Amino acid sequence: MKKTQQSQNRSPDFLSSASIPHGAHVGIVGVPPLAVIEKLHEARAIIFDLDEPQVKADMELTAAHLPRVYCAILRTVVLNALHLKLDMIFIDVGPGKCDCAFHVSTVLLDILDIPIIRTRNEDSVSFGNPICQTQMNLLEKLKKITKGVQSSVAFEVNEYPPCKPTAGFWGVPPRDFSLLTLFPDTTHIYGWTRCMENKTPADTTLEEQFNADIPTIFFAQSFCAKTALAKFLATRHPKALYLDVDVTCSSSTRAKIQAFLELSGVPHVAR
Amino acid sequence: MLLADFGTSYCKFLDLAGQDREPYMLPTKKLPKGLHVDLATGHNGKRFSEHYVNELTALARGGEELIRSRDYVLLDCGSRDIKYVTYKNGELADMGWNSECGASMGFTIELLERYYDLDYAHLAVPKTTFSVTCGVLGMSHIFDAVTSGISEAEAVARFVKGIAINAYRFCGSPETLYLSGGLCDNPLFVGSFPCKVVALGRYVLIKGLEATAGNHLSLAP
Repeated sequence: MKKTQQSQNRSPDFLSSASIPHGAHVGIVGVPPLAVIEKLHEARAIIFDLDEPQVKADMELTAAHLPRVYCAILRTVVLNALHLKLDMIFIDVGPGKCDCAFHVSTVLLDILDIPIIRTRNEDSVSFGNPICQTQMNLLEKLKKITKGVQSSVAFEVNEYPPCKPTAGFWGVPPRDFSLLTLFPDTTHIYGWTRCMENKTPADTTLEEQFNADIPTIFFAQSFCAKTALAKFLATRHPKALYLDVDVTCSSSTRAKIQAFLELSGVPHVAR
Repeated sequence: MLLADFGTSYCKFLDLAGQDREPYMLPTKKLPKGLHVDLATGHNGKRFSEHYVNELTALARGGEELIRSRDYVLLDCGSRDIKYVTYKNGELADMGWNSECGASMGFTIELLERYYDLDYAHLAVPKTTFSVTCGVLGMSHIFDAVTSGISEAEAVARFVKGIAINAYRFCGSPETLYLSGGLCDNPLFVGSFPCKVVALGRYVLIKGLEATAGNHLSLAP
């Protein structure tokens, strides 16, 4: 109990009372508020996105801290946190992320001896979403958007003009990016990923948008609360496939994506 | 042009240049060495051809060729997995492929018939069923039932009915089900579905390949 009490003392309202050491190695979970990103840049911090695989280690190592049946993104967060040498972690636990992240922050507070700073990103200034709508390999788009979380600058619409969409990808950046290779370059992105690029991760109105004129795959991580929204929206869309994937994309899941796109008249990339 | 559906237990073929153009099948373990086909589907198919159509696509294309209705559910029960496509107003509306929880259902049914020396053509559909979500895990129900005094035939029949009901629920519990795969020839399995079943046989995916070869893919070298 003593450690937990000490840990909790480290967490609240960190930005107003403490500083980020110059060149600190900082982990981020979710989309930190813009004010945090700007502070990290001022301190020339080295940022590690803990939502993405950063280490080659067995996911099973997280089983001591999280149930095996749990969001693969958050299991990845714990796996990264166990292996990286970090000076602090900013973890978003507000409406722009999820309750599961809040509970994971409690676990991190207990197992790590570094500051774990909880944030609630409710930024509402729209940065736009040119990447979501431009013609580009979908995997590259997702890489740009997730990398863009570490930036305080918007992508230029002149540099990334919109294209006519032929397919839609709705959802969060998947744990396994390989499934993105199955989509055509003219895929438009919706859902929380669009909110990420817009730097408004708590904008549920934006998150619920989709294009009813294009075949769309509604994706969520298995065991994530967003599976409910993905499934709900898929029932509202005239040409949709609901899909949830855990850690890695199986061959049958890949086949489902391929078949859905092909049978919906969308040419796909990989066979 | 040789088309093939490479299944776990059996492989199905159609030679479009053949005289009768009748499909035929071979046990997978008896495939000739060095076999090469022009267009393939099935989980093993990529090993035998440069042109591959995934199984869901082949199933859907086969359904489009064989089913006249514009609204239907087509379920394929294979040795190692189950998959379905749902069409509404002539267009794809839903699909699913269960290769984990549906694992080895067809394979297990065939295995049990041999192990207990049964003939599914002579087994009545039982009134009760086991809750079966996986062929392998479901076998423990059989052993438990036999231990409690139920006949082997009755226990296996309950198991088969459990598999049919699981597959029925997996594809959305339709009023009419179009069934694909070798289990179409198993009267106990077909009779165990709590809905009307239209058995299309084991060559639906081959029919889908035939449609693909004709309409959707140039196989010119």
